[in-house]
Amino acid sequence: MRILIIEDDKEVASFIRKGLTESGWNTDHADNGKDGLFLAATERYDALIVDRMLPVVDGLAVIRALRASHNDTPALVLSALGEVDDRVEGLKAGGDDYLVKPFAFSELLARLEALLRRSAAAGAAPATMLQVGDLKMDLLRREVQRGGRRIDLQPREFQLLEFLMRHAGQVVTRTMLLEGVWDYHFDPQTNVIDVHVSRLRSKIDRDFPSPLLHTIRGVGYRLDPAP
Amino acid sequence: MRLPALFRTTIFQLTLVYMALFGASVLALFTFLYWSTLGYLERQTEEIIEAEIRGLAEQAERRGLFGLADVINERARRDTERRSVYLLVDAALRPIAGNVSRWPDRLDRQGEWVDFLKAEADGGYTPIRALVLGVGPGFRLLVGRDIRELERIDEVFREASVWGLGLTMGLSLIGGLLIGFSAQRRLAQINRTTRQIIAGNLGQRVPVTGGGDEHDELAENLNAMLDQIEKLMAGLRHVGDSVAHDLRGPLTRLRTRLETLAAHPAPPREDIAECVAQADALLATFNALLRIARVESGAYRSAFAPVDVARIARDVCELYQAATDARRIELACETPAEALVVGDRELLAQALTNLLDNAVKYTPEGGRIEVRVAAKPPDRYALRIADTGPGIPAGERERMLERFARLDRARSRPGNGLGLALVKAVAEQHDGGLTLSDGRPGLVVELDVPAAETRRAGH
Repeated sequence: MRILIIEDDKEVASFIRKGLTESGWNTDHADNGKDGLFLAATERYDALIVDRMLPVVDGLAVIRALRASHNDTPALVLSALGEVDDRVEGLKAGGDDYLVKPFAFSELLARLEALLRRSAAAGAAPATMLQVGDLKMDLLRREVQRGGRRIDLQPREFQLLEFLMRHAGQVVTRTMLLEGVWDYHFDPQTNVIDVHVSRLRSKIDRDFPSPLLHTIRGVGYRLDPAP
Repeated sequence: MRLPALFRTTIFQLTLVYMALFGASVLALFTFLYWSTLGYLERQTEEIIEAEIRGLAEQAERRGLFGLADVINERARRDTERRSVYLLVDAALRPIAGNVSRWPDRLDRQGEWVDFLKAEADGGYTPIRALVLGVGPGFRLLVGRDIRELERIDEVFREASVWGLGLTMGLSLIGGLLIGFSAQRRLAQINRTTRQIIAGNLGQRVPVTGGGDEHDELAENLNAMLDQIEKLMAGLRHVGDSVAHDLRGPLTRLRTRLETLAAHPAPPREDIAECVAQADALLATFNALLRIARVESGAYRSAFAPVDVARIARDVCELYQAATDARRIELACETPAEALVVGDRELLAQALTNLLDNAVKYTPEGGRIEVRVAAKPPDRYALRIADTGPGIPAGERERMLERFARLDRARSRPGNGLGLALVKAVAEQHDGGLTLSDGRPGLVVELDVPAAETRRAGH
């Protein structure tokens, strides 16, 4: 996996690079928009991490330029707690996800993985069925069963499980859940999401031999047949 | 070289313009008067002369030139006041009849009209206006009148005009200077005060004379602005102090913990993870503070759009349903189908989340929480959250809306004391109000926001 980091703040850049390298990824770095655009356009990357505030050419302009030349490399936009309506602007410019500084590296990693998974799945026919381990979800009939046994879920629980299943094997943070399931973009500093997840867990895991829904302490959750 | 300050003022420049306009009007007025009066008198004189010369021409027809000469002499004799002038000359300009000794040699031509000076016996000259008519074979008849009076009136008029205009310009200049001085003094006062304020004395205010004029309005507005700035700066200082004070504790604890771990040969992973968690909690507090500051600065206002708070309330209730179920708390959510306000969806959601989170946190098991969105006549929506928890004593309610405010008995519970502060900031940005009251038992929090129609209509 090759990631390009376009970030002019040395500390943040090295923080990200170190973390990604430890996770087994190759990283390149540009500290201004012009060089970043050049690299992104001429080399092949699996994903871009682009800061908004860049010298020479700003982050959103870089992404717009790439999209205009049909370069669809998934891009995650970083921003300081800056301008109004940051998120919408970032996504409109062609960004795929948006993260506000300061952030926990685990959050960045989780979102990066989700981005990559999404881009890999793009183009494939929309699934009508999701499966993780022996847990099956029929998207057309809105039915869930595990090990052959039918599980009754309320609509929101269904949505929550669907999100987790679509990100199976990846770490999903509480912020991502709030965004993906409830469509609200703020940090739920409370454990309100946790309660929903544990209720879901009690329905899909409690009476079954092996747990699928794992809690990653301090980060989030992961739906995975493997422990 | 720069002109003295007075001459650079707008007031003075306006005075100059006004002077010019007024001067031009006065000039126009005088010209009109001149033409009306003097012109009338001149025209009268000329009509008399014309009538006379016509009459004489008739005489010439009827009685011939000799008859004309007789008439002329008769008339000259009868003119005791010596106002009229008659002269009949032959082709060689030799006088035949009349009261002028000879044909005037220096004639100022005016078409058929002539102006000339008649020499008098005492050596002076009389201005005459006359009409010349040809009669008979090359003979010429001149009839005129003394226009001494006219010329005098003319002179008087011109003098009066000059003096009048001069006086007008002079007075308006003085007036302009006086007004300019007074206005300039007022503005200089305002400028002096603002300079002092800029130099750091924020408590100063611009003096208001109470006259109710636009200078007072300016002064009042400046003072209101200064009040606002002072409030914000006090807020900033307070926050700075609060931040320093309230975050020092957790930071110190974190540091102590890390120090202990540093001395440990093989620090347990859990302890390190706990330190990370504590650092995260601190970061979260900083983030919350920053968010409140940004909301208060008005940064989100430009993106305000119509938003359905009923829908947001339902979403937030649904979000907390699981939590309330887990603690056997009854959560009642009462909303209309739609309640449109102008604002920011995320901010309102976060505010409601904070409020509902507090309610859930402080309501004991088996209690009840009620979330209600209702129209509040005439033009607002009220978002009301009532719980059956311990509530907040009346004396503490104001304080609880400030940053880091916590009730003593709650200090051990999780939370950074910023939840209500954010709700207050969001309420203010939405031109709304936040009130805490006694639920008997419990706390009732009401957040009211102007409805969308009125906001649109108001702008």
